[in-house]
Amino acid sequence: MEPNGTQNVLIVGVGGQGVILASDILGVVCMNRGYQVKKSEVHGMAKRGGVVYSHVRYGAQVLSPTIEPGTSDVLLAFEPAEALRWSKYVKPGGTIIVNSRKRIPPAACQDRRMDAPTRYPQGIEQALRGQVGDVRQFDAEELAVEIGDHRMCNTVLLGALSSVCEFELQDWLGAIAASVKPKTVERNQKAFLAGRNAQFAAMRDSLPSEKCEMSRSVTCLDAPEIAIHDSWCKGCEICVVVCPQACLKMNERNRAEVVKAEACIRCMLCEWMCPDLAVRVQ
Amino acid sequence: MGAATKTVQLLQGNAACARAALAAGCRFYAGYPISPSSEIAEVMARLLPPAGGKFIQMEDEIASLGAVIGASLAGVKGMTATSGPGFSLMQEHIGYACYAEVPCVIVNVMRGGPSTGLPTLPAQGDVMQARWGTHGDHPAIALCPSTPAEVYELTVLAFNLSERLRTPVILLMDEVVAHMYEKVDMRRLANLPVENRARPTCEPGKHAAFTPGADGVPVMAPFGDGYRYHVTGLAHDDRGYPTQDPKLVAATNRRLQEKTVRNREGLMRYELLDTEDAEVIVFAYGIVAAAARRAVREARKQGIRAGLFRPITLWPFPGEELAAACAGASRVIVAEMNLGQMSGEVQRVIGRSKDVESCLKADGEAISPEEILLAIEGKEVRHV
Amino acid sequence: MFDFREYLRMEMFPHMLCPGCGHGIVLGALLRAIHSLKLTKDEIVVVSGIGCSSRLAGYVDFNTLHTTHGRPLAFATGIKLARPELTVIVITGDGDGLSIGGNHLIHAARRNVGLTCLLLNNQIYGMTGGQFAPTTQIGRVSTTSPKGQYETPFDSCKLAEAAGASFVARGITYEPSALEKLIVAAIENKGFSFLEVASDCPEFFGRFNKLGNPADQILMQKQNVVDVEAAAALPAERLRGKMLTGILHHEPRPEYGAVYAESVA
Repeated sequence: MEPNGTQNVLIVGVGGQGVILASDILGVVCMNRGYQVKKSEVHGMAKRGGVVYSHVRYGAQVLSPTIEPGTSDVLLAFEPAEALRWSKYVKPGGTIIVNSRKRIPPAACQDRRMDAPTRYPQGIEQALRGQVGDVRQFDAEELAVEIGDHRMCNTVLLGALSSVCEFELQDWLGAIAASVKPKTVERNQKAFLAGRNAQFAAMRDSLPSEKCEMSRSVTCLDAPEIAIHDSWCKGCEICVVVCPQACLKMNERNRAEVVKAEACIRCMLCEWMCPDLAVRVQ
Repeated sequence: MGAATKTVQLLQGNAACARAALAAGCRFYAGYPISPSSEIAEVMARLLPPAGGKFIQMEDEIASLGAVIGASLAGVKGMTATSGPGFSLMQEHIGYACYAEVPCVIVNVMRGGPSTGLPTLPAQGDVMQARWGTHGDHPAIALCPSTPAEVYELTVLAFNLSERLRTPVILLMDEVVAHMYEKVDMRRLANLPVENRARPTCEPGKHAAFTPGADGVPVMAPFGDGYRYHVTGLAHDDRGYPTQDPKLVAATNRRLQEKTVRNREGLMRYELLDTEDAEVIVFAYGIVAAAARRAVREARKQGIRAGLFRPITLWPFPGEELAAACAGASRVIVAEMNLGQMSGEVQRVIGRSKDVESCLKADGEAISPEEILLAIEGKEVRHV
Repeated sequence: MFDFREYLRMEMFPHMLCPGCGHGIVLGALLRAIHSLKLTKDEIVVVSGIGCSSRLAGYVDFNTLHTTHGRPLAFATGIKLARPELTVIVITGDGDGLSIGGNHLIHAARRNVGLTCLLLNNQIYGMTGGQFAPTTQIGRVSTTSPKGQYETPFDSCKLAEAAGASFVARGITYEPSALEKLIVAAIENKGFSFLEVASDCPEFFGRFNKLGNPADQILMQKQNVVDVEAAAALPAERLRGKMLTGILHHEPRPEYGAVYAESVA
C-alpha cells in the first residue's frame, strides 16, 4: 500500500503539445518543496499523432511510479479526446482540467476508447461530467496565441493545473525559470499566469461537422471551384503564399479558406503544392 | 531432368532440399552464398529456369528473404537457404513474414557458432534461435530432418505448412545431413501431396485482407489480381491498416500465436523407437538421432531397456507426446550438438520428478553412438 | 477529369505527416503521373520502407507494401521478378534508402531491375525526432549534430548513376509540375529508375535550422537548385553549392528480367 497523502497528477496529450515539459516543471516544483516525486511517461511517436502521457506522483514517500485507474487526483488533458480516454484514471471527486482545443489525429486512431468507431468522439463534455463531476475546461491555445506563441499552450495548461495544487506561485515561477530556455522565461511565466487565472467555460465545439466533405467550397459562374477539405488541412499556409491571385487566406482557426474564388486562374499551384492533399481545383 | 525421373538416386541433403522445393511448387529462390548451404542455391540456379521459375543471388541474407517475401506476395512460392550468420541476419524478415502472414520457407543449415564460428562444422546451436530469434511474440514452425530422404519429405511439408498457415516455416538441417549422400527411393517421395494457399473467391472490393477464416488463417490475395490492400509490419487491423488499438492488436497477436496451436495435429511430427517399455529415453534430433538409434540398439543388446524419442517438428515443441513417452521411464537423456538448448525444454515438459541428463557436444564434431551409449550406461561422457 | 481522391484511401485521411511536410506534395505528383500514364490501380505496387516518406504507401489505393527499414528495394525486386507485368514503385527516404538501405540501392541499380525508386530527401530522420541523415549538409543542426553536421553527405544521384541506374533524376517539391513529368519519365524507363526529390521537413529540419515557416522553406528551394540544362551554359562559380535538377542521366539498357531470361535460355 502507498503511504497516505501521495498525490497523483496525470498529464496527457498528443505528440508535440509539450506534455513532457509540463510534467518536468511539475516535478521540479515537487522536488523543491522537499517531496519525493516519481514520474513515468510514454512518448516517442510524438509528431505522428501518437499519445503522450506522464504520470506524476509526489508525497512524503512514493513507491509505485504509475497511477492506478480511479486514483488520480487531477487529470490535466491537453486535448478533449485524450481527456475522455484517460478519465477512468480520475478518482471519485477528482478534477479534470481540459484544453477544449481539439487535435484530430490520423484516422487510424481517432477515438481511442475500446470498440469505438474510428472517428473523433462526440459528446465528450457530457461523458466526462457523467464520470467525474469536476470538469474544468477552457481554450488554452487561445490564451497562448494572445500571449503571442501558440506553443506556450502547455504552460497555460500548467497554470490552470496550479490553481488546483497546493504549491505557492513562487514555486511554479521558479521552476519554470529553471526549466525553459532563458529567453522564453518571461513569456512562459506570462502564459502560466494566464492559465492560472483562466476562466473555465463550457466546451466549445469549434470544429465543423465531420460529415462535411470538402467544406466551404465556393462556386462562381466562370471561375473554377476551389474546395478545401477543412479537416485535412493542417494550416501550413503554403497554398496561401503560392497563389498568384490571392484567392486564399488563413482563417482564425489557422486553416486555409477561399476568399476570392472568382480571381482563380486555374494555375493549380494550391492543389499541387498542398502537402495535405486538402485542396482541389475543379 | 534425367536425375529427377530416376526411381532410385544417390541424393545429397542439400540437393534433396532443392529438388523437393521444386516439387512443392517453389518457383522463386533468392539467396546469398554461405557454407554449408550453398549447394541449395547452386541447384536452384540450374533447375528453376527450366521450370519457369526465377533465381536471384541477392546482396545479403536480409535482402534475400525480403525478395522471397515480395515474390510470395505476388503469388509465387519462394524459398531461401542460409547458415548461422545469415540466419541471424534473416531474423528481421522472419518476424516480418510472421506478422504480415506471408508464406515462405527458410532453410538454415546449422554450423558451429556463435558468430562466424566453425565454418563449416556441424552443430545444432540454432534451435532456440529458430524459435525466439526475431523480436516479439510470434508463431514458429521448425522442422528437423535426419536423413536426405527426410530432407526431401520435410521440405515439401515445410511449403505445405507455410501455404496452409500463411507463416514462414524453417527447415533446420545440421551440416552432416546437408552434406550427406544417401540412396533415395523417389517413388514414394515423388507423389507427396502439394498444397497451395487459398485464394479469395469474392469480388475484389469485398475482400478483407486479414480477416481470418475458421482455421484462424486469412485468405491471401496475390498482388496484381485486383484485390488491392495494404501489407505492413506494423501492428494492423483486419484491413491491414496500422493500429495501436489494444483490442485489435491483442486479437491479431493472439491469433497468430494460436495458428500453430489450432492446427497442431497437421504439423506435429515425431518418431518413437522402443519407448513403450523403456526405462531410459534418449531425446535426440537431426543427425544425432541417427547416432542415438545405434546407441539404443546397443543398449538393448546389453539388456538396458532404452528408447529413442526423435522430434521431427522441433517447433512447436512436441511436449505432450514427449511427456507421454517419458511417463514410464526413470531416466531421460538429451543428446544434442549444443550446450543444452533443448535440455531445458525437455526438463520443462517432463517436470521436476526426474532430472534430465545431458550428452552435449559443441566442438564442431558430431556426437558418436559410443558417447550416447556411455550416457545410457550412466558412465561419464568426457567430450564437453 | 483528374481527381486525385480516386487514388486515395479516403478513410485514412487526414494523413499523419506534419504541417508543411513536403512528402504529401510528392504523393500528389505521383498520382498525377500515374493518371497521365493511364495505369490501372491493380497493376501498380507501391513498396516502401520505414520512415515518414514510407508512410505514404498506406494512403494510396494500390497494392501497397510497407516493409522493414531500408529494405523496400529487396521486397520490390522479388515482386518484379515474380510478376514482371506489374509497375513497381518504391518510396523511400534518405535514411531508409541511403543509410540502412544503401547496399540494396546500389545493387538494385547495378542489376537494373525494372523498378522506379522515389527517394524523398529531407536531410533528416523525422520519424525518430530529427537526427542527422546521410544527406544532411555540413553545418546543419539536428538532435545528433547539435553544433552542426560534420560528416560529408552523399549525392544520391551520383551514387545511383555510378552504381548503374539507367535513369537518374532530381526534382523538388517547389516545382510540382516538373516533378510529375520526371516521375512519368522514370516510370517509362524500363530498367532501374532513380528519382531523388528534395522535400522539406519544417517540423524538425526547418525548426532546428531556423528556416522559417513551411511556406518560407518551400520558396527557398529555388535558390538552391539549377536545372541541368540551364547549368550547361552557366560558369562554374554560378553552380557552386547548387543541386542540379531534371534528368541527370538516361542511358537505357536491358532490364534485369530480360537479361535473366536471355542468360538462362
